[in-house]
Amino acid sequence: MGVVRRVLLDKRVLTGDSIIHRLDPRPKFFFFLWISVLAYVFYDYVLTALFLLVILALAAAAGILRRILLVLAVIVLPGFAFAIPILSVLFPWNETLMFKLHILGFELPLYYEGFTWGLSWPLKIAVCVSSALLFYLTTEPGELIALLFKLRLPYKFIYMVTITLQLIPLLLDEIQTIYQAQLSRGLRTKANPVKRIWNFLALVIPLTLSSLMKVQTRAIALESRGFSAPVRKTCLYDIRLRAGDHLFFSAMIAVTLLLAYLYLLYGFSPIVHLKFYYVAG
Amino acid sequence: MEAVVSFEEFSYSYPTREDVLVDIDFQVHRGEVLGVIGPNGAGKSTLCRCLNGLIPHFYGGRIRGKVIVAGLDTQEHSTAELSMKVGLLFQDPIEQLSGVALTVEEEVGFGLSMLGYPKEVIGERVAEAIERVGLKGLEGRSPYELSGGQQQRLALATVLAMRPEVIALDEPTALLDPIGKYEVFGVLRELASEGSTLMVVEHEIEELAYIADRILLLHGGRILSIDESKRVLSEVSRLKEIGVDPPSVTELTYLLEREVGVALGEYPTTLPEAVRLYGEVLRS
Ligand SMILES: Nc1ncnc2c1ncn2[C@@H]1O[C@H](COP(=O)(O)OP(=O)(O)O)[C@@H](O)[C@H]1O
Ligand SMILES: [Mg+2]
Repeated sequence: MGVVRRVLLDKRVLTGDSIIHRLDPRPKFFFFLWISVLAYVFYDYVLTALFLLVILALAAAAGILRRILLVLAVIVLPGFAFAIPILSVLFPWNETLMFKLHILGFELPLYYEGFTWGLSWPLKIAVCVSSALLFYLTTEPGELIALLFKLRLPYKFIYMVTITLQLIPLLLDEIQTIYQAQLSRGLRTKANPVKRIWNFLALVIPLTLSSLMKVQTRAIALESRGFSAPVRKTCLYDIRLRAGDHLFFSAMIAVTLLLAYLYLLYGFSPIVHLKFYYVAG
Repeated sequence: MEAVVSFEEFSYSYPTREDVLVDIDFQVHRGEVLGVIGPNGAGKSTLCRCLNGLIPHFYGGRIRGKVIVAGLDTQEHSTAELSMKVGLLFQDPIEQLSGVALTVEEEVGFGLSMLGYPKEVIGERVAEAIERVGLKGLEGRSPYELSGGQQQRLALATVLAMRPEVIALDEPTALLDPIGKYEVFGVLRELASEGSTLMVVEHEIEELAYIADRILLLHGGRILSIDESKRVLSEVSRLKEIGVDPPSVTELTYLLEREVGVALGEYPTTLPEAVRLYGEVLRS
């Protein structure tokens, strides 16, 4: 929870000012979709690593490289650590032997196909996660709301998203408060698993109850302020596409064209020329 | 006098509780401050919920009679429609925040944006409302970073921005510390002197005595009396019987009369009035 909190929720510390922050949320959001799709279309760990490098370069420009690396370390490194060794040995389409590993008198054959698969997938996930973070961490909540308005989403949905983003930090504070209260009343944190589940419930039940009560009062307060009036809501925030945004879009189009050309020429693995596996094969 | 709020032979039962309000019949006139007092469970909050149609639209239950607010029958108009006519202020300042506004300014504009007002109009009205509750200079703060008293004044500003014809306040200072109470009553006094129409449920009876033109005494869902503040607050024994504390100066005068045999002729309800009356007696 510590990392999640530091990276995702303490947005207050983070209202930065950089080229990336100044971009309109639309190109940034589109960039996240675009590069994630590309990461799945191509099966080529060098290319995927290049995508990741581009994202990290942008993150560095935005001054949030450390935060993103922290998250990648938590979710991608374990991915490599598990996927690469296991798949190198056990991947069903293994055929090209790289070398044989001798451990404790056993001989483990390591195969190229499983190795590349185990290398590629955590990278793809890394592209997806880091581009999403790049968007989220450089977009002010107000811009995000404006974006949702521009996408013409129903207001109830917009409200849901916004209130979630706003209330999670408050909720975490509340968990802390309840936890402290229970510690001081003698809740034991070092106990067996059954006891721990019990402890967890002791934490969650009061929280849920108090939140439910709040939901009720809040619903009443919202209703009293015209929440469900059947009209188009006014968006209080402005977003505008500027020259930089058009440039960013143009760059994405240019790269798309280039990659399309490579795809036509070399297929889905233009640099390392991996093979496609399908179950029937 | 023009009635802004009118309860007409009104009775109400919650789905799970019968006869919470019985035979309620009274008006709130334009420009008037009506105080509402009564012990816990008397039905004061329930009365407030009737004004903007939360009862029956949100709570359900059974109704007899009518509530008319600014010419609209609350049973026929939705709470959203009524939100332009009636502002409701609750006890807990935090729980009436929208939960989505990032700043004080946005919080105040929330209601108007829900009703689809153009941005320019919202901007104007927000500035005016913030000024009136004395939160100028805090426009850019997060609502969660305000003190209790400031939050409750913010909540009041969100109501004022809608320019309602009447504002109902349900124990607006119950959860505040003394400074918070003082701040909120300061704004209420100002609103009262500007001629706003208010219905104020309040346990701080001393403060109520200053601002209320009339007081409604509610007990067990029925109106025990509704009259000029001074008249209602002077019925000390009756108030104490049902568990409502009269202002201390009123009670002092009552006890002096009953236990010591010193009668002033009338009961003061506010401190300045008591000073005047006792001054006269002591000098003579
Ligand atoms: N939502 C509800 N459902 C059922 N009964 C309620 C509800 N709210 C209040 N009551 C009951 O109605 C009566 C009046 O409550 P309320 O209006 O809150 O009184 P007051 O605000 O004067 O303390 C009480 O007996 C209370 O238990
Ligand atoms: Mg109440």
